[in-house]
Amino acid sequence: MTMIREMLRRLSYLLRREHYLSELEEEMRLHTALRAEAMRDGGMSAEQASAEARRRFGNTTKVTEASRDMWGLGRLDQIGQDVRFATRRLRARPGLSGPVIVVLALGIGATTAVFSAVDAAMLRSLPFPREHELVSLTNAAVPFGPESNERDQGRGLDLADVADMTNIFSGAAAYASGGVNLSDPDRPLRVKAGVVTATFFPTLGVTPFSGRTFTVEEGRPNGPLAVILSHALWQRQYGGSPMLGKRIMLHGRSYTVVGVMQPGFDFPDESDLWIPMSVPTTFATFEPFRGFLPSRVIARVRPGVSIQAAAGQVLARWRQVAEPARGEERDNLNLFLDEVRAAGAAVPLHRELLGDRRRALLVLLGATVLLMMIACANVANLLVSDAAVRRREIAVREVLGATRPRVVRQLLAESVLLALAGGIVGIILAPAALTIVRAMMPAGLAGVARAQLDLRVLGFAAVLAIATSVLFGLWPAIGATRGDASAAIKSGGGHGATPGLGRVRRALVVVEVALTVMLLIAAGLMLRSFQRLMAENTGMNPDQVATLETSFPRNTPDSDRRRIINGVVDRLSGQPGIVAAGAVNDLPLRGGGGISVTIDVPGAPPLERGEYRMARFLFASGGYFDALGITKLRGRTFTTNDATGPPVAVVSNAMAETYWPGLDPLGRYFTLRGDTSRITVVGIVADVREAGLDKAPFPQMYRPIDVGPLNAAVVVRGTLPPRTLISRLTDAMRAVAPGQPVYNVRMMEQVIGASVLPRRTNTMLIALVAGLALMLSALGVYAVVAYAVAQRTRELGIRAALGASGRDLLTLVSGETVFVVGLGITIGLAGAWALSRVLASLLYEVDPRDPATFVIVPLVLLLPAVAATVIPALRAARVDPTQVMRSD
Amino acid sequence: MSDPIPPGTLDMLILQTLARLEELHGFEIADAIQGASAGVLQVEEGSLYPALQRMLMKGWLSAEWGKTRDNRRARYYRLTAAGRKQLAREKESYRRVTFAIGQILQPAPE
Repeated sequence: MTMIREMLRRLSYLLRREHYLSELEEEMRLHTALRAEAMRDGGMSAEQASAEARRRFGNTTKVTEASRDMWGLGRLDQIGQDVRFATRRLRARPGLSGPVIVVLALGIGATTAVFSAVDAAMLRSLPFPREHELVSLTNAAVPFGPESNERDQGRGLDLADVADMTNIFSGAAAYASGGVNLSDPDRPLRVKAGVVTATFFPTLGVTPFSGRTFTVEEGRPNGPLAVILSHALWQRQYGGSPMLGKRIMLHGRSYTVVGVMQPGFDFPDESDLWIPMSVPTTFATFEPFRGFLPSRVIARVRPGVSIQAAAGQVLARWRQVAEPARGEERDNLNLFLDEVRAAGAAVPLHRELLGDRRRALLVLLGATVLLMMIACANVANLLVSDAAVRRREIAVREVLGATRPRVVRQLLAESVLLALAGGIVGIILAPAALTIVRAMMPAGLAGVARAQLDLRVLGFAAVLAIATSVLFGLWPAIGATRGDASAAIKSGGGHGATPGLGRVRRALVVVEVALTVMLLIAAGLMLRSFQRLMAENTGMNPDQVATLETSFPRNTPDSDRRRIINGVVDRLSGQPGIVAAGAVNDLPLRGGGGISVTIDVPGAPPLERGEYRMARFLFASGGYFDALGITKLRGRTFTTNDATGPPVAVVSNAMAETYWPGLDPLGRYFTLRGDTSRITVVGIVADVREAGLDKAPFPQMYRPIDVGPLNAAVVVRGTLPPRTLISRLTDAMRAVAPGQPVYNVRMMEQVIGASVLPRRTNTMLIALVAGLALMLSALGVYAVVAYAVAQRTRELGIRAALGASGRDLLTLVSGETVFVVGLGITIGLAGAWALSRVLASLLYEVDPRDPATFVIVPLVLLLPAVAATVIPALRAARVDPTQVMRSD
Repeated sequence: MSDPIPPGTLDMLILQTLARLEELHGFEIADAIQGASAGVLQVEEGSLYPALQRMLMKGWLSAEWGKTRDNRRARYYRLTAAGRKQLAREKESYRRVTFAIGQILQPAPE
């Protein structure tokens, strides 16, 4: 209580310092006056009396100061003083504080943004109880069968096997995710559905917000149709009104709402709702999702069981399962088994979800840390030069009685203040940077790990800023206070000779240049990769092509689907400004799986065991090839007669060359495995990259779309501006089928753009980081050369007086750059060479030691380095000898 | 000749003076200490003020501006309850110390 009162009193004195000071002075004035009067009364002369009174009182200034100290907040007060002093100094020197704050802000902003992505993706645990127990089982299948429980020998270990291993697993589940139409009377909606086994929620250890999770019955084939809503969808679509027991229409079927999940839970893949995956799965399970969804089997290891031990047991079980298989099945299983061995039979779920984005994120983090190091080196450089300039000022202060700790503390206050300012600006920049970095988040972690700036990330930024300031502020501060004060004062001018600091600065710039070379090489390699990727022949011409996608409910009759698809295509085809229109069941590069089938080709050479003739199975209309700009190589595409006539197919070039090597496939036929009808090849078209721009095209075959697929994309090519083209497309759809929901309405270029977005972002970010690094290094080189010139002004002046030409002086000064930059480039190239393997997996058809990149990068760096030299060097060349001689 | 006051005792002297004379301004305190010690103890008068400020902060004293007899503005100091307690504490510890020192300085028994 008394402590608090004392603090309040002190605070009021602190706030009304001037008032209390004048009171004190008045009091003391009265004192000396009264004393003097008393002396005069004692018989002294007025003059003697006032002198005696002053003598007896003592040093007024000192007394005032001592009294004022009594009011102070002790150490806090001193810190306040240091900060005030530092603020004044920094404001007085915008030439120093400006660059330092900008450089730090860039470094901290970039590092913070990248760190928050890495933190969300890799450091943070998944939002499930005891998530470290959750594993993903490589290649484990969900048993598939109409109703039989018989093992599908060709598929190896399945969910039932995993669930049976109760000694190591306490639970096992499978899940998949896909888009489905939610028919709402008001507005049809495309939502993301998690398709999950009844064991899914208990295995993850999550409970519903209201209602329940799936029952065993609901998880059986042909079980009751139940749906669980996400909290977000419940709020958004149904306004949080009671939904339990109500029915909603999904993909044309009626599902009963049995539960709502906790707010924030939307695993997997930002699901809006969850529907059961039956075990064994049936055709009905995946029917709303193009007939297939890749599913993942997960399990929870029992407490005390290590993941390695579990993986070992699962692998042993794999071998047991593979044991009885013979012939083709055996070969097939061995392929699976090889993959299981390579990837690990049971992998921590977190690592599995992170997938291949792990390395890209780490490389980006590494690059950003390098940038941060360059930024720090730059700041250190600026502070060291400032310290050198201030040696004299500091020495004077020491001579006047400032203690060394006090001086160090004041210098430190300056650098902490700078770091904080830089940090704050950096944190302001970070959200913008984070929006870009987000594109690199692993798809598997969508919804589970959200990259955002929170306390943890801000803490990281704060630690970064403070560490930077202490490291790079304290060191020059100590350096500046060391040494002989009198020497510093005597040496004159601001540019007292400080060879030690000069060496430090040169070393810093060498480091900067070396790190920059490494970043530039990384950026160069990635840019070349991206260039190669984009130059890759996609097999189509995406310019001026608009697309939309649609899905039909299962209960839509085939004839209706056919009517709608063909109706839209026909409606578009006749319009002016439309060059071609067509439809396909699965748009290239849209992401997501596709159907591949095994085919038999009569007369083809026999296959090795374990080999198959596979082909991507697509349905297209005759106009599709023109609409997407797929080159027709030979033969024809589909006509209206193909719907009713004998089965025909258009095949890709790769399919023709792979399955009819050296033969003309036109007029030849093949069959689908398990089917006898002969499909005749009527045309050959170019290969289309559909799985990804970086994936070589698979053999592809097209059949007429007249089967009326459940999913379709309409593609239209026109001469109209994109926006008009897109509205023509949606108008046509609305005219033909008013209530039919459409999604992914976009230009084909956007489809391709989206497919390369993570790689583009990664490349762009590394290039950006390298560009910033280049800028900072140029600044560093400039600072060193300018400093050297300033330091040697006198010497240069004398040389000029003795007859050295401007050119001689230029050569002399640029020697500095040649040394610093040359050494930096050499070290950087060596470093990049040594670290080339880190990047290899991120590159596309570019050697990580690509000679061209290694030659071009030093040249790129040389340009700003030359500029950074020439500017101060020209100043040196213009040195006026007479002025220099006079100046000191 | 007057002696400077022993270090650390100034607070106690001020507190005691105020305890005896109730309400004084700075000059009066200095004079009172000197007078009460029959001129033996002399305060370096300026040093009174930091001490007064410290005791104000601690809450041992309260201060109020008033008028002197010849109508000049002066700050009058008074003891607070906390100050009274502090004085008792200081006197007690002073007595103990002087007693101990006295014991040490006594001539050794024969």
